[in-house]
Amino acid sequence: MSLAIPSWRGAREAGPPLLPESATDASITAMIADPVLRGSAGRGWWIAMACAAPLALITVIAIARLFWSGIGLFGINATVVWGIPIANYVWWIGIGNAGTLISALLLLTRQQWRASINRFAEAMTLFAVCIAGLFPILHLGRPLYFYWLAPYPNTMTLWPQWRSALVWDFWAILSYLLFSIVFFYVGLIPDLAAFRDRSVSRRGRVIYGAFALGWRGSARQWRLHNVFYMAMAAIAVPLVCSVHSIVGLDFAASLMPGWQETIFPPYFVVGAMFSGFAMVVLLAAAIRWGFGFQNVLTVRHFEAMALIILASSLIMTLSYATEWFSGWYGGQAAERGEIAFAFAGAYAPLFWLQLVCNCVAPQILWWPRMRRNISALIAVSLAILAGMWFERILIIWNTLSHGYLPSMRRLFVPTLEDWLLLIAPLSLFAMLFLIFLRLLPAISIHEMRQLRHERSRP
Amino acid sequence: MSKETTLSRRNALKLLAGQMALLVAGCSRPREEIVPYVRMPERLVPGTPLQFATTLDLGGYGRGVLCTSLEGRPIKIEGNPLHPASLGATDAFAEATIFSLYDPDRSQAVRQSGEISNWAAFLDALQPRLESLAARQGGGLRILTGPTTSPTFMRQIKSLRQRFPLLEWHAHDPLDDPSAREGAAMTFGRPLRMLQRLADADVVVSLDADPLGAGPLQILHARGFAARRQARKGGDAVARLYAVESAPTLTGANADNRLTSPLAQITAVAVAIARKLGAVMPEAPLGKEEAAFANELAQDLSAHKGRAFVMAGPALPPDVHALCHWINAQLQAPIDYFEVDGEALPSSLTNLMRDCEAGKVDSLFILGCNPAYDAPPSGRLAEAIGKAKLRAHLGSHFDETAALCEWHIPQTHILECWSDLVAPDGAASLVQPLIAPLYESRSVHEVLAAIDGSVASGHDLVRETWTASAPANEFERWWRRALQDGVIVGAAVKPASNLSPALPQMTSRAAESLMLVLRPDPCVYDGSLANNAWLQELPKPLTKEVWGNSIGIAPADAGALGIVDGDVLRLTANGRSVEAPIRIASGHAPGVLSLALGHGRTAAGRIGTGVGTNAYLLRVDSSWTIGGIVATRTGERRPRPSTQLQFSLEGEAADLFPSYTLEQFRALDGTVPETNAPTFLPAQRETGARWGMVIDTSLCIGCNACVVACQAENNSPVIGPDEVAAGRDMHWLRIDAYEIGSFGNRRTGFQPVPCMHCETAPCEPVCPTGASVHDSEGLNVQVYNRCIGTRFCEANCPYKVRRFNFFGYADGQEYGDLGADVMRAHNNPDVTVRSRGVMEKCTYCIQRISRARRAADKEDRPIADGEVVTACQSACPTRAISFGDLSQGEASVSALRREPQHYNLLGHLNTKPRTTYLAQVRNINAQLIGKEE
Repeated sequence: MSLAIPSWRGAREAGPPLLPESATDASITAMIADPVLRGSAGRGWWIAMACAAPLALITVIAIARLFWSGIGLFGINATVVWGIPIANYVWWIGIGNAGTLISALLLLTRQQWRASINRFAEAMTLFAVCIAGLFPILHLGRPLYFYWLAPYPNTMTLWPQWRSALVWDFWAILSYLLFSIVFFYVGLIPDLAAFRDRSVSRRGRVIYGAFALGWRGSARQWRLHNVFYMAMAAIAVPLVCSVHSIVGLDFAASLMPGWQETIFPPYFVVGAMFSGFAMVVLLAAAIRWGFGFQNVLTVRHFEAMALIILASSLIMTLSYATEWFSGWYGGQAAERGEIAFAFAGAYAPLFWLQLVCNCVAPQILWWPRMRRNISALIAVSLAILAGMWFERILIIWNTLSHGYLPSMRRLFVPTLEDWLLLIAPLSLFAMLFLIFLRLLPAISIHEMRQLRHERSRP
Repeated sequence: MSKETTLSRRNALKLLAGQMALLVAGCSRPREEIVPYVRMPERLVPGTPLQFATTLDLGGYGRGVLCTSLEGRPIKIEGNPLHPASLGATDAFAEATIFSLYDPDRSQAVRQSGEISNWAAFLDALQPRLESLAARQGGGLRILTGPTTSPTFMRQIKSLRQRFPLLEWHAHDPLDDPSAREGAAMTFGRPLRMLQRLADADVVVSLDADPLGAGPLQILHARGFAARRQARKGGDAVARLYAVESAPTLTGANADNRLTSPLAQITAVAVAIARKLGAVMPEAPLGKEEAAFANELAQDLSAHKGRAFVMAGPALPPDVHALCHWINAQLQAPIDYFEVDGEALPSSLTNLMRDCEAGKVDSLFILGCNPAYDAPPSGRLAEAIGKAKLRAHLGSHFDETAALCEWHIPQTHILECWSDLVAPDGAASLVQPLIAPLYESRSVHEVLAAIDGSVASGHDLVRETWTASAPANEFERWWRRALQDGVIVGAAVKPASNLSPALPQMTSRAAESLMLVLRPDPCVYDGSLANNAWLQELPKPLTKEVWGNSIGIAPADAGALGIVDGDVLRLTANGRSVEAPIRIASGHAPGVLSLALGHGRTAAGRIGTGVGTNAYLLRVDSSWTIGGIVATRTGERRPRPSTQLQFSLEGEAADLFPSYTLEQFRALDGTVPETNAPTFLPAQRETGARWGMVIDTSLCIGCNACVVACQAENNSPVIGPDEVAAGRDMHWLRIDAYEIGSFGNRRTGFQPVPCMHCETAPCEPVCPTGASVHDSEGLNVQVYNRCIGTRFCEANCPYKVRRFNFFGYADGQEYGDLGADVMRAHNNPDVTVRSRGVMEKCTYCIQRISRARRAADKEDRPIADGEVVTACQSACPTRAISFGDLSQGEASVSALRREPQHYNLLGHLNTKPRTTYLAQVRNINAQLIGKEE
């Protein structure tokens, strides 16, 4: 069995097709656009929205409460000064990473199966990065001054302190967010034009038309679009790597045992891809089921993603092992103590759970049957998402709780605010995603059509 | 005017609405009036602090202090170097006095039966009763006070006795030491008081005594202890301190060799020593360790004749105290004995109760004490007091006793009144007010004068006392001098001499199966300080517990009862019971429990009420031990908040808190290894001074004076028990406690940890806004205005010395009533009060450096060595903290950094800390170590 990600050419011979043989340009457009433009939302959508919206409102209430009373509402203390907001931030950035990475990397490597998943993966990126971007602000003691991280001209004639990883981080998130918006939008233009043309209401035609920027589908426009899109994809890949590397540097550029690890930047990037693909699997399964997209989101898509997840899991396991080995081999008492604390200390149950979720559970994907079993894949993805969150929170808790001076070793106890801001943003994400599904094509129409054309080429 | 600009009705209304909206939007801070001085008080320059000498009271004794006052507000207490019980240092209680002054719960008005009244009404009510009392020679007139040494008070009592010959004065001291008094009486035939001179002793044996613990003698003893702990290269004279104790004390923690034994065994150790010194008395059965210990003690003591003594604690019976007097006489011990004026001795509370019940008491004045809380609870006190026809209470708070009295009069704070006090060595000093009384309050002297039928100010009363002491015609000059110096020259008492104690008869006692040993609380003392939030939040030296007390228990006993830390235990004795959580602590002898007095107040105020457990409830008399205790589990859990969690170390102590024996120290060859490793980081650009601090861990006894001093100086907020339990304590200076050593010499090492002011500070590069920066004199400073609260600096600080305002602890979200207006007055105006969401930390008292710099600049000279004294350094009774300019090679800190035992905390991280340490040097008796527990 080959472990390689199935290329388009190879896949045509191997597995079931990525598109039904009978698909035509018109049928593809109708299949994707009509549920949004003509169809009603459907009961499933409304139920999902009814679940997500109140919880999303709780996010707003939790934030208001936090701003009113202060960040003492979190379970943080003088030793474990960072808590769940930072873990959430890293986790959401990780999710956010995968969308653009999948889209750009698969585009550059000409993985044509990407056409079915890139659009909603990019949307996922946008929403996840927006939510991620909230947390560093929420965790600040004085959130109203978050903009002091930006070098704006001010009467104090002060600039940010450039040596701080948090300033790098600020730029990394900001540039990634801006880039993701542009990348998402550029990919969307031809589809917006298609929506403009198919829209049944005048309002729809005006709004989609305005955003379509006068796209007519001329050969010149297509050529420019392709060049620009490929160029953006080429920029995207290093950017994606940089953003999570820099998140890794938030920890690595420090002095604390368990943080000052040179392996952190690459390990964070792989971790991001790992959890990001898990999230894409979940969303793909939901969309496939919700819109009846079995034709375009095929089992082969899931199998390809399962293989990436499996590979990432192996890299993660190797990274963990490297971390432990170098901690032990370095011989520093504080490092060794921190690792011993991780394995047997107060948070050890979570740590073992993390290892089960991230290292053990994905191993079932060695079996091709499991890779094609969507339920199993969903279960593994959920385990990975939980496991990766444990990893992020434990990076914070283990190091801060087991620092250099024993007198200041303290534990973290989560509070109501922590729980609220852990759970409620998931609903906010779900709500944003549900709105996205009702406004924009969840699958790229023009790329699906391109796929059909390429396939019919001799 | 065109049509559009015509002001129509609609437009007018729109404009009006707009204007209203602007008014609302334009709200600003409320205007506050500032009234300038019409006549400027002499010497008062705004912004320039003044210092006045005064005396503070603890257990009736005086400790001389210098109080800093700014624009008429007392804001800080420092030691008075001229006063023998201060020697320039303070203790935690003295430092916290400022907080008591501004306590919002202080009683503010005279009350009659709970209703607000006034002083004139009280005098009116008093007058007819006094006349009838005078007619009866004062029969039935009783005055109850706490312990006091005030000469003015004594004079007033004498003068009252002229008008009321049958007047009786009773005194009640909840922390009285009857064993010492009876022991002295047993030995010398009269109640001599004694003062051990630790500075003159080579060998000190503490038998369950606590000379270094909280009390009026703490500073004096600590200084004496420190005088013999100066391990320096090229000359050390290190004394040896042995402790045999039943439950942990600060003295035991600082002892070179410590043994924990039940009280009966400690008595036996005393007997064994006496026998070795030639006493003819029956042998007491000794355990194996105790025998070995006693043997060594006797040898060491007799080898240092004239420079050794034994001291006994209050938990030991009088005959052991008497035996110690005999031993000390054999050793020609450096102890001063003082005669006690027999006439000045008050009657006891027990006598008062008896007389009350017999209906002999007509008018009872309870002045500045609180027997309803701290007297042994016979259950009869309220009833007995109720039988007096006139019951008046003078107190700073409307407390438990005030509730039993018809009249309550607010008592002036010691910083508001005139008085005088005597130090334990007999030196008298004056108490002068730093501020006019904040409320309509009276001092003890003013109330006594009122009973005497005269209206006199405290000022005149105190002057009257001392008129005779001054040289003729020079009273004014003498008085000014006494006020300025804070000590009255020539008033010291000469020690008694030619004492020949007799060998006492020892009574044998049956050993108790389970015994409770009481101790004064190291933070709230006897409970009168319970409403002081600084003291409630002060970590106890040994357990680091705050806000309450817990039952100390030996690990083996806890195991036998099947309980763990935080489980609530019910102690029953004499038909009464109390409940408190336990804390397992080595240093308790088997069968011995310990509990601190001073907690569980029911009417202390909004801070102190209901905090902890009232151990007084178990007492039958002033005894410090309660035998026949029955301990039962309640099944409840109530862990007390603590600032340092307890767990076993992973071998770090050797690195973090190195300790040498005296022999190892002498063997150190004197060359100091270069602690700073090479680095890629550029050196800090420093133009002026290079400030540095060296802390000698051999000297630190963990007394906490520095912690409160830092809090007072730097406006550190109090956050309350819940926030401490959440791990957010705000002290800039903490004292880490390390349990080190093995059996026989297990002790606690104390390491004060302020900010290290690292040269390559890990907090600086990680701050995104540049709020954590290095200044040109090597200080690592925090710019509060620039801080947005990312907390990366604290995350990256290996010493974890930064503190974060998770809530507006000092800024709108204060604990309890600490946000009251009056509390603002205690703040040091030279230090920013931090707002919510900013990081803060030790600044090396940058405001003091700045003041010294301004003074030096004015005179165009460099800052002299020793000119800048940080708050912690100034408070330290043992002078363990040195601070100065490292660029001056000859400065004392530079010299200390060249000592062989000098080390950097976490030096391997190459943070190049400016706060460094001298490792502990202990003069261990090697014969007693190496035995496993």
